[in-house]
Amino acid sequence: MTRTAQLLHELLDHAAERTPHSVALSSQGSSLTYAELADASAHMAARLHQEGLRRGDRMVVTASDGIGITLLVYAASRLGAVFSVLHEQVRGAPLEHVVKDCEPELLVSDDPEVAHTAVRHELTFLRIEELVRSALDARSGTAPLLEDVGPLAVDPVSLIYTSGTTALPKAVVSTHQQVLFAATAIQTCLQYRADDVVYCPLPLSFDYGLYQVFLAALSGARLHLGTVVEAGPPLLRSLETAGATVLPGVPSVADRLAWLLRRNAGKLSKLRLLTNTGAALSDSTMSALREALPQLRVQVMYGLTECKRAAIMPPDGDLTHPGSCGIPLPGTEVFVIGDDGERLPPGEIGQFVVRGANVMAGYWRRPELTAERFPRAEGLFPELRTGDYGWQDKEGYLYFSGRRDDLYKERGFRLSATEVEAAATRVDGVTSAAVLPPEGKRAALLAVVADITADEVLDGMQEHIEPFKIPRRCVRLDALPVNGNGKVDRKELAALIGKATAASSSTGAL
Amino acid sequence: MDRQNVVTALENALTDVLERSVTGLTGDVKLFDDLHLDSTTMLEMLMNLEDSIGLVVDPEDLDADDFLSVDTFTDFVLSAQLREVAA
Repeated sequence: MTRTAQLLHELLDHAAERTPHSVALSSQGSSLTYAELADASAHMAARLHQEGLRRGDRMVVTASDGIGITLLVYAASRLGAVFSVLHEQVRGAPLEHVVKDCEPELLVSDDPEVAHTAVRHELTFLRIEELVRSALDARSGTAPLLEDVGPLAVDPVSLIYTSGTTALPKAVVSTHQQVLFAATAIQTCLQYRADDVVYCPLPLSFDYGLYQVFLAALSGARLHLGTVVEAGPPLLRSLETAGATVLPGVPSVADRLAWLLRRNAGKLSKLRLLTNTGAALSDSTMSALREALPQLRVQVMYGLTECKRAAIMPPDGDLTHPGSCGIPLPGTEVFVIGDDGERLPPGEIGQFVVRGANVMAGYWRRPELTAERFPRAEGLFPELRTGDYGWQDKEGYLYFSGRRDDLYKERGFRLSATEVEAAATRVDGVTSAAVLPPEGKRAALLAVVADITADEVLDGMQEHIEPFKIPRRCVRLDALPVNGNGKVDRKELAALIGKATAASSSTGAL
Repeated sequence: MDRQNVVTALENALTDVLERSVTGLTGDVKLFDDLHLDSTTMLEMLMNLEDSIGLVVDPEDLDADDFLSVDTFTDFVLSAQLREVAA
């Protein structure tokens, strides 16, 4: 029988007891078994302890080495310390903000430039390469026993910085218990298997990337970390070489794979599951993937860092419930509230609220914001006001219609950019679409990547949504700018369109 | 098509994709570290070259090593098939 882990690193220790010789992690020619990973992370913990990291202390990591990040994450857990993994490109002012906000004991990076930030803030700076080398070299020896550590299940283990309604990123705090509940619930829905090879094209600084580490440990699967190059144009070949069976993705990854498969169906006969998070997958990408890979099942998902994941679709559930982002995780509840906080009946659009053990602890040192977003029902039980809007059908399937900031008013109607974008991508010939809500004198504008003309896109949309929801202007682009998380970067898009418009008016064209 | 033509085509493609002028590329320039391409812009660059010089992309032939530097990528394009493109 499988014991239930109470602390994050116990996930790894249990996997190492069950299947010590299975490969846990692989990347670019190197790999570690579960036993090796558990052992090296214990040595890493001893080293970090030597460097001054104690229970409750924070450690900030900004690096690209996924194996190193995994060792550091489990090591921090063993010490009862709190880790925060930042994107490898977080430097300068954004890094200063994080360091001032969470006051870490240690700053770990692969970039010597980061050492300057550490010096300015009187922090200990450690090079990840050196830490990893010494943890792996020490593997054969016995890791020194650490006394007086023992974190509790209710202790914080991770800080995940997110941007959003606040001007500067704030950190979502998760306890061991919360991370384990979320990971276990996700695994119940996705059912990774011990013989799976999970190909992660996402950096581990992206929380869905990091959770792949935990899902793999729960199932005993092998996690292959694709580099940023491998996950680019060579994605198809890289999946083949790794023997990938599961691909956790975001829309830009799925779009890329569909593009490659149109040129060569390849030999991806092993790939059995694609999951999607971040934003909705376009219908054209989904059908291209299904056509090229008949054995592939798709599970779309919805969530936000504040509860990690809120809903997951059963395999291929998008075929029977098109447009839905899934049903609430087992053991959790998602309901819809109106402006006055009252629960709305099925079919009515309002704010999604999440209840369950996946609701995280709150924002680091932001009691007011925490109280606002994680209010306590009856003054006792925290629930998460997601700030996301949508509706639920009678069976409990959720339909996302937009972020609060995705909603806009035009010609007196309250419209959802997400809904308009979904309608545009349903038009044959449209690969992807993004709406720029109206601003100043400029009306709402639709940007598309498409094989058909802008007018044809607007005409085609008539079939899918009410005419008043269709923006008056549509612009065709070669690609939509995306940010590090694979979401459309609307600011960048506005700049791009502004430039294109200026260029065409100066040449007299329209 | 010779090396210099490929590099010029690459500069044009990158200028489009990155929306800033990219000129004077030398062989040792690293695509990711120096030009800050990512997995998405890298694919856009290929799409652009499909249109501009008729590069025929076979996903089975794309290797991570081809995308390291201007030199390795130029070698890849020279070894790849090109189809006729309308001028």
